[in-house]
Formats: sequence, structure tokens, C-alpha cells
Amino acid sequence: MRDRPSGAELLDIAREVLRDKITPDLSPERRYDALMVANAMAIVLRQMETGEQGQKDERQALSRILGMEGDLETLNRELANRIRFGDAGNPATWKVLHDVAVAKVAESNPRYLSADE
Amino acid sequence: MVMGLTAQDITERLSIYLSGVAGCSVNVGNAQKLSGGAIQENWAVDADVSSGDWAGQHKLVMRCDAPSGVATSHTRAEEFALLKAAHEVGVEVPIPCFVCEETDVLGRRFFIMHRVSGIAAGHKLVRQEISKGLGRELGKNLARIHSIDPLQDGLAFLGQPPEYPALSAITTYFKYLDVLEQAHPAIEWGLNWLSDHAPEPVKPVLCHRDYRTGNYMVDAGKLTAVLDWEFAGWSDPTEDIAWFCAKCWRFGANEREGGGVTSREEFYQGYEEESGHTLDRDGIYYWEVMAHVRWAVIACQQAARHVSGEERSLELALTAHVVPELELEILRLTERTNA
Repeated sequence: MRDRPSGAELLDIAREVLRDKITPDLSPERRYDALMVANAMAIVLRQMETGEQGQKDERQALSRILGMEGDLETLNRELANRIRFGDAGNPATWKVLHDVAVAKVAESNPRYLSADE
Repeated sequence: MVMGLTAQDITERLSIYLSGVAGCSVNVGNAQKLSGGAIQENWAVDADVSSGDWAGQHKLVMRCDAPSGVATSHTRAEEFALLKAAHEVGVEVPIPCFVCEETDVLGRRFFIMHRVSGIAAGHKLVRQEISKGLGRELGKNLARIHSIDPLQDGLAFLGQPPEYPALSAITTYFKYLDVLEQAHPAIEWGLNWLSDHAPEPVKPVLCHRDYRTGNYMVDAGKLTAVLDWEFAGWSDPTEDIAWFCAKCWRFGANEREGGGVTSREEFYQGYEEESGHTLDRDGIYYWEVMAHVRWAVIACQQAARHVSGEERSLELALTAHVVPELELEILRLTERTNA
């Protein structure tokens, strides 16, 4: 068993140091770089916390509405094709796309979800 | 491969070149590379002209291709022509001085324009106290851009206007998606909605096509320059209105729906006053869906440039992570009007 702090916990404290101690001393241009690094670390951290669950849910939902099995890439390609060539405007499709988008935003930029709900 | 330019290269070579252009001694100094610009480089320079029509001190910017410059829609000479046309109809732009198409001066084509002061960064602008009148000015300036006649104002390089701007945009974005490794069903959904709801075509005009917060400068509350003309081209004027107002360009200041700096109404009023015609509110909604789709497609392309190794960059890499919120917005916008 790995020792604590875990990878996620390390990343979290490293990000705090970067943001609170290093960034304020930097030139404006380097500060922008540092904030991008901190943002990248935050995304990784959230992905570590969710693990593979989001990907699993997405695959299940896509499998269900498409009526077929496959990896995520194949399923997304199939859904994209069906939307382009006919299956547009279907509320069930909208719902799946919406749920997937919400799950992805929760990892990429959760503030976007809290800002307007 | 073009080599990098140093401040010394620029001051020396521009001094010689500008002395020739002005027909008197011109001393160029204080060359400083300005931040931003992966495709173009901007250098601040000061020029001291000894005599003649331009005698005196000038604060200038030299804009040239970056060494890694990928071929984009417009060359520096075309950008220069756009700035000139915009300046002539009263759009706030850095006054363009002249363009040099020979590559033996700096190794790259470049043009020179006046240096304008102010802040452009979107995340900073939306956090400042917003002065009254800025939104109106932004609306008026956009209306002036739309008054330019590309067929008459030396902008023939823009080609013929598309018959149906919305449909040609949709076709273009489908093509862009088709070369990406990953499929993007939510963007496809948006494009499909756009095909189904396309408005009647209107007469295309010269559009800026990147008129948004982050691409103009504000100094002491006043609009001082509209920047970033590299995407300018023919389109439905509503595309520019909607691009400016779209939620993805408010830098988090969502309560100010006019680019995070003003209300929609103030921006619309400025536009309507200057152009003399009323904006079509439904059309704006349509083009706001288009704005999110367009940005999502461009963001996917930028991410692909990093992922493929073509251009490693944290900024490009992070752009991939803007796509989910754009997809979410596309879905939200297309739910209530679902056919």
C-alpha cells in the first residue's frame, strides 16, 4: 500500500504552494504561466478524485441509447454520426449529452456549474 | 526557418530602413517585445525623426510574423489594409503607418502602426470599474466596421461574399471536426440545430469576426483600439454582435451580458444609433449558438495542435478543457427551442 499523502494530496499541497507563495513574486507574464500551471494541476486533481467513474457512466449511457457496445471513442463517433445524419433533436440524446457535459465540466471548471444554478 | 529577432537587430535595421523611407535620419530605440502572439510578434519601438513631415518623437509598434508563424487567414499586408479601411471610417484602431513587404529588412514582412495605451486583457477589464459609455462606444465602433465596403476599400483579397454566411460557417465547422481524432457529439448536436434554424440570409458585410473583450484596448475607461483583425471577413453582421455578447466571452462577469463590460442594451443601442437600423434579437440568439460552436471547434483544433505534438503549449493544452463548458452551453441554448 502506498503511503499517505497520496498523489492527489501531494498535488493539492504543491498547488497551494505554487499559488500562494510562488505566484505573487513573479513578473506579470510568468504569473500568467504559473496560474495556468495551477489550473492544470487542479484539473488533474479533480480527475484523480473522480477516477474512472465518469468514463464508465458515459460509456454506459452511450451504449444504452445507441443499442451497441464498444469503447468510448467508438461510441462517441457513432453518436456523432447518427446526430449528423438523422438522429437530431431527440430529447433522450440531448439528456445524455447534457449529463456527459455536466460531468466533464465538474472536472474541467466546476465553478461554471455553481455560477449560474 | 526564420531566425529570432533581437531588440538590437530591430533598432539597427529599422533605423536604416526608416531613414530611407522618411528621407532623413531616423533613430529607432527602446525595442521591446510585447507579450502574447504565437503567430505574430509585436514590438514596441520609439522612433525619433530628425526632420520633414514626420519630425519628432513617435511611439510605434512593429508587427511581424513570428518565426513559427503558421499560415493564417491574413498576411501582414492584408491586416494593414484592414486597419487602414477601419481607420478611415472612424473605428478606433492603432493608426497604421506603412507596410514593408520586402523580407530583406527584418527577414519577415512587417508593418508599423501607432502605439496605443490601455488594457486589453479580458480578465482584468471585467474586474475594473466600468465607465459609462464604453458599451455604447463598442457598439458604435462595430457598426462602423460593418459600414466598410470591402469591394471599394482595397479589401478585394477578402474574395466574394458567401451567399449564405450561416450555412457556409456550418459547412466549414463540419469539415474542421472531420479531421479531428476524437468525435464531438455535443458540437454535432449544435451544428445540427444551427442547420435546422438557419435564418434567412442577409446582405453580408465586412465583419471583424473576433470582436470581443480581450481584443480591444481601454484606457481610462475609453475605448482606444480595436485589435486582432486576422479573422476579418465577409459575414452576417449579427455574427459579430453575438460573438461579443456570447457567454463564453464574458470572462466570468455573466451579469454584464455585453462582453462582461456592459449591458446588452447599451451595446445594442450604440450599434443601432450608429448604423441606423434595428437589431434582430432572434438572429442574435441564433448567432450566439454559432459563437459557442465556433469557439468549441477552434478550441478542439488548438488542443489537437498540442496533443499531436505539432506545437507543445500549456495554453493550447488547457484550451481543451474549455470545450466541456462550451458544449454544455450549446446544449442549454438549444434545449428550449428544440424542434
